[in-house]
Amino acid sequence: MANQKLAMVIDAPTCLDCKGCLAACKVANNVPDGKWRNWIKGADPERRASSPVVFQPGNCMQCDKPTCVEACPTGATYKNQADGTVVINRTLCIGCGQCLAACPYGARFKNTDLGVADKCDFCAERRKFGLEPACVSTCPTKSRKFGDLNDANSEVAKLLKANRAVRVANEQTRTDPNIYYLGEPGPTNWTVQARMPEAFDFWRRLADPVVKAVVGLSGLGVLAMLGKQLAMPKDAPPADGGAHEEAGHE
Amino acid sequence: MNKRMILRHTKGGIFIHWFNAACWFILLFTGLGLIQNPQLQPLGQWYPNALRAVFGGGGLLIIHLAVAVTWLLVWLVFIIANWSSHVVPFLAQVFTLKPGRDMEWMIKKNLQMTLGYKAMAFFMKPLGLGAKIPDQEYYNAGQKVAAQVMLLGALVLAVTGAIMLRGKYFMTAPLADIAWVQWAITIHYIAAGVTFGILLVHIFMAAIAKEERPAFWSMFSGEVPEEYARHHHKLWYDEVAIKTSDQ
Repeated sequence: MANQKLAMVIDAPTCLDCKGCLAACKVANNVPDGKWRNWIKGADPERRASSPVVFQPGNCMQCDKPTCVEACPTGATYKNQADGTVVINRTLCIGCGQCLAACPYGARFKNTDLGVADKCDFCAERRKFGLEPACVSTCPTKSRKFGDLNDANSEVAKLLKANRAVRVANEQTRTDPNIYYLGEPGPTNWTVQARMPEAFDFWRRLADPVVKAVVGLSGLGVLAMLGKQLAMPKDAPPADGGAHEEAGHE
Repeated sequence: MNKRMILRHTKGGIFIHWFNAACWFILLFTGLGLIQNPQLQPLGQWYPNALRAVFGGGGLLIIHLAVAVTWLLVWLVFIIANWSSHVVPFLAQVFTLKPGRDMEWMIKKNLQMTLGYKAMAFFMKPLGLGAKIPDQEYYNAGQKVAAQVMLLGALVLAVTGAIMLRGKYFMTAPLADIAWVQWAITIHYIAAGVTFGILLVHIFMAAIAKEERPAFWSMFSGEVPEEYARHHHKLWYDEVAIKTSDQ
């Protein structure tokens, strides 16, 4: 089977801000109190005065260049090559939260019940049973649409072909998101930039070379001693050497 | 040659040494396998990939944590049980440096071990120093410095490891102190790296260096030949010799 590229196409003008998608997601994924895997952004206040109110529903954008994956030390967060989603292996996640800051969309949170990072995975559990993500199924106006962009016959592929679509992204952080908006979804310039935690930057820029240098120097020292031992097997103190040295000692 | 043996390590000391060695070996190899990020993994991605193929990613983390907790608990029991008999004397020995003598030993011994006695004597001549390597106590200066670094490294590894463990399983205040966890990871890596650097020298000295071979065997039998003690740890030997002649 060819690899999928799962994506959402959101028809922004049809969103009513009913928050059905938020509730459905919470139930389907057992999301802890006070946390959300998806959201609906309010309309741009300037536009609110002059034009019909438009909302911007969203969730993890399953980016093609995910900054969260870049920030994960253990490889618990990775891009699933089979379907294009960005997923978390909970058994490997150490809950360090570096991916949280690294996601410009704030799509991740720490699931304190489980001690791991958590986020939208396009309802992997439901997809196993052939169901669509909960937010898509529940949307009363069918504002959220879901499918495989690599399949030319999918609804999402056809919609993108027939319409002008935009993505919401930050100028500095080009993560190549996989959520497309139809209509005018409000501001498309996402203001939050991906941020790598200081400790992570310190590790890759300074700690990594320093540790390599320490281990390298130590290794060189050991090699030098080994070389000397092999080259001078009979090395002994000079005759006038140590006062307590005894003749015949090797 | 006199083959009289002198007691150097107790059974408890031998146990904790090999227990610690086994734990560190497992912790180093699993810990390194937990890093799977091309920007951070010093050996390349093949290493974590290979380990995960055998143990599974989650299995690796569980082994690392289980061994780490066991290591810490056994050490705590050992430290409490042997506080005055082993721990205090050990700390007193390894943290007592005699700067002049130990510096001279460091320079001479390093030159001798890498270039030989002749070259060492040659370099020492213009400095007005003889070729004699200063006498050492129970631990020589190199062992003392190695012990200090490894002690500090172990302490930092235990503390940062505990912070990470708490961060994953016991952190209820959401994200309030997550920067602690992130710095703990980075510092854990640095401490492991520096400790490993020292460990390389330690393992070479014990298992490969010919001169120290009796010390290696003493980590099993507990005893070193009298001749070895007199040659390598003269000050300790003199002390022991006086004690035994007193009896």
